Amino acid sequence: MTDFHPHVKRLIDGELALADLPPELRAEGEEALRLLAAVDRRPVVLSAAVDARVMAIVRRRAAVPSLWRRLVQPRDVRLRLRPWILAPALAAAAALILLLGRTAPQPAAAPVTVRFVLFAPQAQQVAVAGTFNQWDAAATPLVRTRTPGMWAATLQLPAGQHQYAFVVDGARWVPDPSAPAVDDGFGRRNSVMAL
Amino acid sequence: MTIRLLALCLACAATPLGAQQGVAARLEGRVPPEVVALVQQLAADAAARGLPVDPLVQKAIEGGAKGVPADRVAAAVRGVAAQLDAAATALRQGGLTSPDTGAIATGAFALNAGLGGKEISELARAGGSAYSAAVTLRVAGTLAALGVPAAETVALVSAAIRAGQPPAELLALPARVQAEMARGVAPAQAAAGLARAAASPSHGGPPPSRRPPKRP
Repeated sequence: MTDFHPHVKRLIDGELALADLPPELRAEGEEALRLLAAVDRRPVVLSAAVDARVMAIVRRRAAVPSLWRRLVQPRDVRLRLRPWILAPALAAAAALILLLGRTAPQPAAAPVTVRFVLFAPQAQQVAVAGTFNQWDAAATPLVRTRTPGMWAATLQLPAGQHQYAFVVDGARWVPDPSAPAVDDGFGRRNSVMAL
Repeated sequence: MTIRLLALCLACAATPLGAQQGVAARLEGRVPPEVVALVQQLAADAAARGLPVDPLVQKAIEGGAKGVPADRVAAAVRGVAAQLDAAATALRQGGLTSPDTGAIATGAFALNAGLGGKEISELARAGGSAYSAAVTLRVAGTLAALGVPAAETVALVSAAIRAGQPPAELLALPARVQAEMARGVAPAQAAAGLARAAASPSHGGPPPSRRPPKRP
């Protein structure tokens, strides 16, 4: 193997140009480039044994395709449409669309901030229950304000019509004295707000 | 195979059984089983006729929360079902060929508040396509709940609609009536005063095209 000068090696690596070499190394550099070009142009010839080995592997893989290759391999797909199968699916889809279209809620408007206030000086606890919290008497408690006897809670409610009542001490349902009210169907009154 | 599966899934989703199970799930533990069964049946009937189901479920939940006996809860839920039916009929008579569930539910609320089917139809007609029937009836129902008589309620809401007031101003009408009431004015007078103000040209008034022509 030819042992080139370090500068010539840098020429072979492309770090230097031929013109960069000192005059006394230029001949050596030209020789090195000539040899390199000859090597680059030489055709690569593989032995017949390598060919045979590669082709054997390819044939083996082609004969037993893996599950993954079966899935991702492109292939022709023939789609047969049978109207008697599609008809129930289309009917069900139409029914579903109709059902959803009829019962779908209106697009949600921005929530409205509402302050509930009740004057109940004797109460130990006060809550508000209504259509907005599934009439849950424990879900939305009011807190005492700085004004003695006054209870309050501030909620964000969706726009719409809501019915509600205050629940005093967990048992007594009291309509909001400052709001309009309607019959609740059970002999009491529900307060009403339209937001 | 895939198409058959899709058909099966869609058929399952569309079945009323799913809706009935939803009603049962919402009522479970809140009301006695006989009330659950009744609400399921009424809800299925309502859904089949395009009526909202939620007011029925809400009324049953409310009854359970208030500790009302089962028979009274059942009666109240039946009453709501009847109001929904009446509201839908009134809205159709008012020109809404297929009213949405929101409008029907609000119509039922307005009926409960004291308006009649005739007023519901009138308000639906007055609002036309420019105003949401749900908003119009929400305002009218709240006015009725304040004690404004039906005739004055319709007159006030109709005047506001004719004046072209936006929905936000319509929704503010009950508070304005309440403010007048707080000053000692009777609900009917308060509503009549606001209706006159809405109709007057200085307060917006009706658009020029809707004003009656001047007589020479």
